[in-house]
Amino acid sequence: MAITTRQTEGFTMPELEYLAQNESITIVPLHRMDRIELVRGAIGPFRPPQKTVVPLWVAIMLKRTNRCRIVAPKWMQYEHLRDLYKREEQPDAMFTRLPIYYLEIAHMLLTFAEDDLVESQGIRRLLQDLREVRQSKTMEGLRMLNSLQLQMDNLSMAEINEIRPLFGHSFDMLRQLDGLAQATETEQQQSQFADQSYAEMDDAFGSRYVH
Amino acid sequence: MARRNYYDIDDILAGQERVPCVLRADLDGLGSAGSGGASKVHRNARWALPYWMADRLNEEDYVDMEVSPVFSKRANRMYAASPESMQLRAICQHYYQFGLQLGDMVPEIPHVLRNMYVQRVIKVARIAQQGQNVEALDFVQSLDKTETRMLKLCQQAQSAISDWHKNQAYALKRAAVVSAAGS
Repeated sequence: MAITTRQTEGFTMPELEYLAQNESITIVPLHRMDRIELVRGAIGPFRPPQKTVVPLWVAIMLKRTNRCRIVAPKWMQYEHLRDLYKREEQPDAMFTRLPIYYLEIAHMLLTFAEDDLVESQGIRRLLQDLREVRQSKTMEGLRMLNSLQLQMDNLSMAEINEIRPLFGHSFDMLRQLDGLAQATETEQQQSQFADQSYAEMDDAFGSRYVH
Repeated sequence: MARRNYYDIDDILAGQERVPCVLRADLDGLGSAGSGGASKVHRNARWALPYWMADRLNEEDYVDMEVSPVFSKRANRMYAASPESMQLRAICQHYYQFGLQLGDMVPEIPHVLRNMYVQRVIKVARIAQQGQNVEALDFVQSLDKTETRMLKLCQQAQSAISDWHKNQAYALKRAAVVSAAGS
């Protein structure tokens, strides 16, 4: 099967968009409709102007054919994003809590449902700023890379996907180096010249010596 | 023995790096293979052989393999001092792979490589994020194969997201055959 390099290194963005479309979102339907049974659950019934919760793909589909209006999710309000941005900007702060598919959901809503959002330009700008701050934080996380574990909470799916090739290959390399270091360590512990090499290594590399 | 991928082309190429060796036995008729023209090569002659060959001959005791100058003590000290300004492409194009293969012989190699890798990969990631500019050009030209691959992957990941943001992640176009047949 023909597969591109990008596909071997993780998800592609359209794939992530597809996965994100399963998230639920509130809409205001414009037409009446009875309950429909689908494989993964039921949609409806639609009784305008009552709000209903549907999967995102249904919402996008209805919106494109002008059969509903989308209610912006709570986290996508301008003030909330601005507060999150302020909190994110503080040095040494962890990543702020955002839905795991926030980039994809935001992109789809901004593309298809811009009229349902208040201050869409401001939201666009804030999302861009937020993304840049988070990116610089992941770069700092790279510094703390070791071969055993790296924990970064509250990263969204798209961001994880972005750093997956880099971090994945780096982990592999560091693990190989560690395996090599351990192999030579046990070898030397069984030989006569252990002390001298350890002393040499300590001199050359100071406290970076891994125990 | 370091992990070796038999079919990995980078591994094969990395093993091609020459290491200095001292011959232990007199070899007849192989003079033309070395740097001389004589037909007989004496013991204690110095020869630079590719690593894969030298390793096997070392085990069979035909040669005494010595550490390649890429990872000599002096070189290791230089690497520890300033990892970011080393010209890895000039020193050895498959620096990391070669280091992994030599790992049995030189016990400081894991430290050296780890130090180099972590520092340089951070710089690589930063360059990928901010786009290449003039100062970065020198650094990019000094990367070895592993690092250039990493740079390309990072750049691809970046452009994937920004393309998708502009709704250019993929384009559905009419096939030329269809439009030619239609007209």
